[in-house]
Amino acid sequence: MPTYKLIYFNARGYGELARLLFAVAGVPYEDIRVERASWPNEYKAICPFGQMPLLEVDGKILAQSSAIARYLAMEFGMAGKDNWEQARIDMVVDSFGDILQDMRVPYLETDPEKKEALVKQFVGESLPKRLGYLENILKENGGGQGFIVGDSLTWADLGVANSVDYLKLMCPNPFENFPLLAGLVQRVREIPQVAAWIAKRPETAT
Amino acid sequence: MPTYKLVYFNMRGRAEFARLIFAAAGVPYEDSRIEMNGWPGEYKDHCPFGQLPVLEVDGKVLAQSIAIARYLAKEFNLAGKNNWEQALTDMIVDEFTDIMAEMKSLWFEDDPEKKEALTQKFNTETLPRLLGYLEAILKQNGSDEGFFVGGSLTWADLGLVSINDLLSVACPGSFNNFPLLAGLIKRVRETPRVAEWIAKRPNTPR
Repeated sequence: MPTYKLIYFNARGYGELARLLFAVAGVPYEDIRVERASWPNEYKAICPFGQMPLLEVDGKILAQSSAIARYLAMEFGMAGKDNWEQARIDMVVDSFGDILQDMRVPYLETDPEKKEALVKQFVGESLPKRLGYLENILKENGGGQGFIVGDSLTWADLGVANSVDYLKLMCPNPFENFPLLAGLVQRVREIPQVAAWIAKRPETAT
Repeated sequence: MPTYKLVYFNMRGRAEFARLIFAAAGVPYEDSRIEMNGWPGEYKDHCPFGQLPVLEVDGKVLAQSIAIARYLAKEFNLAGKNNWEQALTDMIVDEFTDIMAEMKSLWFEDDPEKKEALTQKFNTETLPRLLGYLEAILKQNGSDEGFFVGGSLTWADLGLVSINDLLSVACPGSFNNFPLLAGLIKRVRETPRVAEWIAKRPNTPR
């Protein structure tokens, strides 16, 4: 078994999907957390793009959170059973990337009036629109009571569940009107390894 | 061989990456282009997220431009020789996506003064820094006849050509200080199948 090190801030953020994969796979790794106040530190020089998270596998370095998560998912057999399923998973994960992109502007806006308007637009329009498509994709996968791609747990399902944590920064119950997505999140959180990880992980604001 | 149909607008945009991959692999496909005034039309309902591009493979549908490109790259053996190499190609392509995301936030700034300031910052700081990281990766590979990953052409190299299409219009001269990147772009553009595609593709503003 290779030696794994994940290096990120002491936050869930862009590192949490990798941590969930390690947890579900039951694979040990060094969960290195850097306090924001001490960044940049000595790790910055080895970051291919100057940013974390980083994954070290037997000393070799990989950057970019999605590339890291996909690599781990492939290694741990949670990436779909063929190229096509892998691509459908990528598609679902990329759409959360789009949601995050939409979220940036309202999240980072400091002017309270502007922020209120931008958050209202995100929560009221762009988020439900994107979640609607995802709810449909889930429904089309055998009725939506299982997984979002294929017939077993993949990193797409973990990505859906993980997204609730950051969407809650914008609205209290992001999947309120999307029962199939909400059901999937519940099922993922009840997986013993996921529940155990969520219970023991450091509690951080983001 | 499956039947491939790529559906997008009549522009390079987010579909050109996939078109370059088809070209480099020498695989035929239907390059279906929808005029802007024909959108949204009846095709929108086929789109998993209501957006283009979409790839149809024997009638099955895939969305998200990078998921499409990665799928094709893997099908055509242009995505690295193993999981690790594939992850490295993913990492590099994610960096292109980050560059595009920076550009997008520029374009969507309405206030002319802010836009000018952001554009300045992008051209003199952000873009050179991001390209510098990519140049360093090529340098680390130890040869100036090199490719990004594994010593042979992958979709990461084609992605560089694709982003160069965009940057050469929006930020001309951006590769002037990055000889290894500029050299790789030139070599890939001059490979016979890629050169043939570039010569015959519809000439569109973007």
